[in-house]
Amino acid sequence: MKDVLAKVVGAAVQGFRAEYVEVRAQKLCETAIAVKEGRVETAKQGIENGAALRVLVKGAWGFASVSALDVAALSGAVSDACRMAKAASARRRVPVKLAKTRAVEDKVLLKPRKDPSKVPVEDKVNMLLTVNGTVLQDDRRVKSVTSNYLDLTGTSYFINSEGAYVEQGKLYVFLGVSAAARENGVFTYSREAVGSTSGYEVFDVETSVKIGETVARRVTAQLKAKPPRGGTFPVVLGPNVVGTFVHEAFGHLAEADITLSGSVLFDKLGKKVASNVVTFYDDGTVNGAFGSFKYDDEGVPAQKTLLVKDGVLVGLMHSRETAQQLGAQPTGNARAEDFRVEPIVRMRNTFIEARDYSFEELIEDVKFGYYLKSFCGGEANFDGTFQVGIQEAYEIVKGEIGEPVRNASISGNTIETLFKVDAVGKEFELWPGVCGKGQSAFVCDGGAHTRVKEVMVGGNA
Amino acid sequence: MATLRQEELLRLAERAFDFALKKGAGEAEAFVFQDLSTYVSIERGQIAKTSRVIDRGLGCRTIVNKSPGFSYTNVLENETAIEETVLTALDFARANRPDDDWRGLPTEKPFASVKDTYDHRIENLHPEDLVETASVMLDAAEKKDKRAFPIEGEVRASLLSAALANSNGISVADCGTMIECSLATIGHDAGEVTPVCFEFNLERTYNIDPAAVGEEAARLAVSALKAKKTETEDTSIMFTQFALEQLLAYTFTNAINSDRVQRDQSVFRGRVGQKVASEMVTVYDDGLLPGGIRTWRFDGEGVPQQRTLILEKGVLKGFIYDNYTARKEGRESTGNGSRASYLTTPNVDSTNLHFLAGSESADGLIREVDEGLLVNSVQGAHTSNPASGEFSVVATPCWKIENGEIAYPVKGAMLAGDVFNLLANVSGLADNERKIGQLVAPWVLVGNVKVIGK
Repeated sequence: MKDVLAKVVGAAVQGFRAEYVEVRAQKLCETAIAVKEGRVETAKQGIENGAALRVLVKGAWGFASVSALDVAALSGAVSDACRMAKAASARRRVPVKLAKTRAVEDKVLLKPRKDPSKVPVEDKVNMLLTVNGTVLQDDRRVKSVTSNYLDLTGTSYFINSEGAYVEQGKLYVFLGVSAAARENGVFTYSREAVGSTSGYEVFDVETSVKIGETVARRVTAQLKAKPPRGGTFPVVLGPNVVGTFVHEAFGHLAEADITLSGSVLFDKLGKKVASNVVTFYDDGTVNGAFGSFKYDDEGVPAQKTLLVKDGVLVGLMHSRETAQQLGAQPTGNARAEDFRVEPIVRMRNTFIEARDYSFEELIEDVKFGYYLKSFCGGEANFDGTFQVGIQEAYEIVKGEIGEPVRNASISGNTIETLFKVDAVGKEFELWPGVCGKGQSAFVCDGGAHTRVKEVMVGGNA
Repeated sequence: MATLRQEELLRLAERAFDFALKKGAGEAEAFVFQDLSTYVSIERGQIAKTSRVIDRGLGCRTIVNKSPGFSYTNVLENETAIEETVLTALDFARANRPDDDWRGLPTEKPFASVKDTYDHRIENLHPEDLVETASVMLDAAEKKDKRAFPIEGEVRASLLSAALANSNGISVADCGTMIECSLATIGHDAGEVTPVCFEFNLERTYNIDPAAVGEEAARLAVSALKAKKTETEDTSIMFTQFALEQLLAYTFTNAINSDRVQRDQSVFRGRVGQKVASEMVTVYDDGLLPGGIRTWRFDGEGVPQQRTLILEKGVLKGFIYDNYTARKEGRESTGNGSRASYLTTPNVDSTNLHFLAGSESADGLIREVDEGLLVNSVQGAHTSNPASGEFSVVATPCWKIENGEIAYPVKGAMLAGDVFNLLANVSGLADNERKIGQLVAPWVLVGNVKVIGK
């Protein structure tokens, strides 16, 4: 493989005078199973091989993607990419430059205890049937459950004209479960996900019965829940919710491409953006976590990146291009979903660092507020307006957990809200997810229970 | 990489299902898809790159004793790779459980004709042409107002081809074009930053106006500056197509999906013939809409696409079906077996959801509103409860309507309610129909929506 890729790089440099060339190739096998109630709707496996070529010619990017790995196809793609770059360079005002990095040569082999590609499909089907059986139980209120299983295994290859060559094993295992229940005209919905880069052994811990019980408990408990009051209240965010908040409300704005576009964090480096108890990391090195990898898609080693320290913005997440523009070091955050698209700045495992409060201490002073335990999505905007949807929540009444609440969401302005964080708990959790930014990326987010003095809660009660 | 012609795609599909039958499949189907796209990306105020993507592959569905299996590959150059894919599909079918509701693959039926889905001018565009289009769009935005900053944008031209063959005699191919120009902007002035504002054209024929897109994207951003907070109250909301599309996509589109209906996840279950929305609301799923983004001769199972009545003057008339959900009820597929690519099996999805327009101008409708909000877009629609339709979202960007006029931009307003209530409370439909993704609709005025402002 290396010889073929090196030849292609050489052709671009010599034949088209490219200033920079990289080729990413992948050989991936995917297995996916979807089970609805007791019926296996889809059982599939497929191969996706392909290559992406990115070149810099006259200061502009050209990109070409082909679903083939032979020399002829790749040579055609080189000439396509260079022609694309020339077309773009005609209107490019400021030439693209890349921050310097060490040209790494490495081969990353994975050693899963249970390689998902070796687990028989029958076992995977049985696991999903167990999940669904557990969710449905004999409870007639639970109307439907869908389990989606996915594993991806294979190898990715990276080579560039600066001498880097990285061959990396790829392994992802994911299970998403969602259920719907109905009683007396009330519809409820619940979902849960498991994701890992270590191996199929993740299901030894997150067993099918355990996941099924979590989803079943939540979807039926919500039937008795009431809608929240709309307005501004104190809240305690569970690790699952605070993770989404950190990811959506803060993380995206600290992706340097978005910061450079003029997000509210622009010009805030070195300044206070949160209260003193807030410390954020984006960490690509957490062992087995869904957002971890050794090298990013520009061949830069992943690292643990400090973003906010005790309330002060100290770092951003970078690709080589954004690092150059801001005079920073690349952080290993350039990721591409697959060979069809180019790498962009993405998060990995993003979280708020734990401090020292117990859960009881966090809620004991709240007269009336909400404990937001589990999220169902979120979204942020450049001006710092965020929204996080909540699938499991409870009232906090006089320092104690009260009745369940459904279909809540929180919203506000990121920086204003971060200044209202007044306490952070001590138990730490990370949760897997799939982030969308034009492309999908596997990530984790989380942290510890976090109290916010006040935030706007959306509800129609 | 050489691109493949329709006949070549069809031949690959036919060979694959043929091989599956030889190897013991009871039924078999192969779908081959090819996407050739060229696009120019705008990043932070300038043209950043040009890209060319060739993506194609084959997906094979085999059925052994009522038990389906699926496999795909994007290695089409050698016969062995395709044969291995077919064998994997058979292995998966054999490892799967029989499905008693399986009533066979679709059979051949005559196709309706489709209009304005292919334009040779798009197929023949050069990357330099697209760079020029992007420049026109950027220049128009910059000329409009310096306070608007184009953060990202794209100009994309695509040629999509699909072929499908199955063991029941279906053997079809189609191709179509798309062209898109889009620009996202933010307004910034004196330290204030607006939410992202967005404008685009997406057409099947070469009929885009990049200058108008650039100008409108800039106008929106500037008009969102100097935003204020609003009150908490129940008020009238004018939803543009962007906001409407976001709210419907995660709720209404599920509620009319036969798979969801059959599995008791839809508030519309058992309510055909009943009034479920305002009398003003008539909705079709129109797979034949001329120039529609999802208009094709056939769906992802080779079934002819059609025009299906969903709501007529607020009365629920029916649902959308693929072959599986239709036969489960002993009826015919409505041509909604959707397949985005060769990687996936078909699933029920809408084609072009056509929400019929009214006859009043948007300005005229706004003049009737004493107090309310104009909501261009919402954040967090994907967190809506897909079964109940309950939502809790933020309106960004959004403007206050006072005494029949757009008064000032509003920040941070949350909207809460349920989509089915919104549809029941529709009080006005404008005449400004446009396509936004799968939705074709006008601006829609809704009374009595809960707004949480402070």
